[in-house]
Amino acid sequence: MSFKEFRKELKGGIRVEAELIKTVFYSLLTSFLVLGVLYLLRFRFIEGFMSNYGYFLFFAALGYGFIIPAVRQIRAYKEFPCMSGMMIGMTTGMIAGFLPGFLVASTNGMFVGSMFGVTLGMAFGIWNGKCCGVMGIMEGMMAGFMGGLMGAMTAFMLFNDHLIASMVVVSTISAVILFTLNYMIYKEMKLEERTNKEDYFWTFVITFLLITLTTWIMVLGPRSGVFG
Amino acid sequence: MKNTTIFFVVLAMILTIGGFVFLSGKDRVTSNSVPNAGQFINGEIQKVVLSKEGFNYKDATAQAGRPIALSADKSVVGCLRSVVVNAEGKRYSKYLQTPEDILELPALSKGTYTFSCTMGMGYGKLNVK
Repeated sequence: MSFKEFRKELKGGIRVEAELIKTVFYSLLTSFLVLGVLYLLRFRFIEGFMSNYGYFLFFAALGYGFIIPAVRQIRAYKEFPCMSGMMIGMTTGMIAGFLPGFLVASTNGMFVGSMFGVTLGMAFGIWNGKCCGVMGIMEGMMAGFMGGLMGAMTAFMLFNDHLIASMVVVSTISAVILFTLNYMIYKEMKLEERTNKEDYFWTFVITFLLITLTTWIMVLGPRSGVFG
Repeated sequence: MKNTTIFFVVLAMILTIGGFVFLSGKDRVTSNSVPNAGQFINGEIQKVVLSKEGFNYKDATAQAGRPIALSADKSVVGCLRSVVVNAEGKRYSKYLQTPEDILELPALSKGTYTFSCTMGMGYGKLNVK
């Protein structure tokens, strides 16, 4: 029953859930614009760019497009009960650690990938987990720490075995998990009022920063010896 | 614009850009690749082919004083294809995606050098005589 209501909200309600699809759109638009401009100005002159970086940057843009709407939804309510907050910290920390870790490790090696994944995962985990206090923060930290390392390690172990196909599967699963998180937040908070109303400025800013940083690390960042 | 319309715009955007990225991928690879550098002088090079024994590398043998082109045959799978050799204070590493890929090592002095996969899961010995 509440899933039908959630779907109705997604299509065009009055709550924050009605802004999720728009947030995905603006996040993807920002990422693709940044990548498009960089491709036209510089990246198309790099030999084998699409094979070596193109896939991974595309999936990074998609990944951020899934994570940012969840952040917006969490920020809209600010405070959650402990159990929900822990789930929020764990989910955002894990996905925000696993996906970037996986993608960056695919181009730069395990050390750089895991450090990037752990940093991003823990930052997102703490930021979103703090909606329920120290338990959410701890859960976010732990999930970000583990997700970052696991993502990088998985990519590293899949080098010789359908890395691109695995990336499609990993991204799809992450999208489903985050969509389920959106639904869970709606279900937990549907009787509560929204406490923070904001425009899309932070969606653009956060996406821009994330995609720029990821691109910079992938293309110009340090690389492990494995990449020759 | 309605959210349903935006949803389809997002879908179209992902499919279009995704299609462009996947069709533009030069080799349409399923995994990462590292090009061969090939900087050896002909005649001096000695080829050493690694193979797998159990969960580790089979011990390999090479001659002292000659540079080594290290490759891995088809029996070597998974992370074992990504080899790291620590020799005389330096670290040499490369992902040997195919049996044709080589890791170039300098001329080594006599001794036994241990090497592993980059994840430290499998080990082997290079006996230089």
